[in-house]
Amino acid sequence: MKPMLSADLNAPETTVEKAKIEVKNLNFYYGQSKALKDINLSLPERSVTAFIGPSGCGKSTLLRVLNRIYELYPKQSAEGQVLLDGKNILDRSQDLNLLRTKIGMVFQKPTPFPMSIYENIAFGVRLYEKISKAEMDSRVEQALKRAALWNEVKDKLNASGLSLSGGQQQRLCIARTVAVKPEVILLDEPASALDPLSTAKIEELIDELQADYTIVIVTHNMQQAARVSRQTAFMYLGELVEFDRTEKIFTSPREKRTQDYITGRFG
Amino acid sequence: MAEHTVASFDEDLRQISRLINDMGDLAASMVGASTRALLETDNALAQRVVSDDAIMDARQRELDDRAITLIAKRQPMADDLRNVVGSIRMAGDLERIGDLAKNIAKRVGSVGVSTAPRDLTHSIDSMAQMVLIQVQAVIQEYTVGDATALAKLRNDDERIDVKYTSVFRELLTYMMEDPRNITACTHLLFCAKNLERIGDHVTNIAENAYYVLTGTQLPANRPKQDETAMSAPAA
Repeated sequence: MKPMLSADLNAPETTVEKAKIEVKNLNFYYGQSKALKDINLSLPERSVTAFIGPSGCGKSTLLRVLNRIYELYPKQSAEGQVLLDGKNILDRSQDLNLLRTKIGMVFQKPTPFPMSIYENIAFGVRLYEKISKAEMDSRVEQALKRAALWNEVKDKLNASGLSLSGGQQQRLCIARTVAVKPEVILLDEPASALDPLSTAKIEELIDELQADYTIVIVTHNMQQAARVSRQTAFMYLGELVEFDRTEKIFTSPREKRTQDYITGRFG
Repeated sequence: MAEHTVASFDEDLRQISRLINDMGDLAASMVGASTRALLETDNALAQRVVSDDAIMDARQRELDDRAITLIAKRQPMADDLRNVVGSIRMAGDLERIGDLAKNIAKRVGSVGVSTAPRDLTHSIDSMAQMVLIQVQAVIQEYTVGDATALAKLRNDDERIDVKYTSVFRELLTYMMEDPRNITACTHLLFCAKNLERIGDHVTNIAENAYYVLTGTQLPANRPKQDETAMSAPAA
């Protein structure tokens, strides 16, 4: 067993924080091929953690294990433990719908439902809660405000979600995620298809959301990881190479492989 | 260190290193020439130091331009980032060393060393040698990447401070002995102070270079032995 890597061990400015998610001895397989190798990681509550690494390093796979979305696909399996507030979510008894209300996910490409802006948000809420029209109106408004989209769409809530720009669609997806009151938000390259202005809005949003949510972001954009996250995990060939405070990773990483990757000296 | 995937990034970094090396060589040559001009009352040599300072300033501006462009274009990380930021700061210290050498050179005309006691020029000479060795060594150790040597070099500045204190006392003694020495000794006192300040800039460079190489800062407190502040305001 590898030692648990915790970014907070070296953080002078933080006291011991509660881990929201603990990954223990996690291995993951696509069929016979091992995509994650004995990952041990502790993600602190209400803060942003970035996963970085070259394509195929396992960072998206790790993200997909955290809400078990990989189970939608055949021949994919995980071994080990992922503890959410101390409870193993990989356990067979885990209710997947319940898990995914607690752990929301936003993907690289905006994925609004082909329905109105209002319904994009109300749809998910209705799956889990029976609330009045007035309560729903308020919930939709709150979610859109949290996603910094309200001012842009408040006069056209009945317009199709697909009529929005790419950046707006992505914020709509974040609003949809926030509306079901998750505890953790997983972001898989949320800004990679967006222009710089929309990217800045998403980053600003991440900054605000971390007061209430535990956020995990996968990104190929190193500067983005450096800007938005408090701790960063560098992965390579299915291994967790280094996990530390973001400032440390980007100014003086411990591992040569990390240094080579973030400075553009890889391979 | 492996090369970057983008080869022109390496070239940009090499240009910055080259400028630091050039500025280091120039600083050492200016310090050596200015004290030699002072001790030998060589006005032509002093004039060369003054004109070298313009070259030093131009080098620093070039380095700043290159460093800022590199940051904007490449967004350097980790050791590259430390290297670029450290180079900007080291160039600032080297430029100040050039200024201080120029200050020494500009006094050559007014000192009239021949009127000052011979022992005194010996003290200044040996202080200048100590400073010159430090200036030469700091860029050399940075270039070869010897962090341990840089940490030691930074602590060696203490010897310059001690030397300055003793030169200061010596000068006071000469001035008290014979008031006709006062003009020359006052100029020499400023020169000694300039040499001591050059030592401080070398210390800064050593600290920056150490950080660039290791990613960790040297401890903040270094032994400090300039005791003249106890008896007189600093120049």
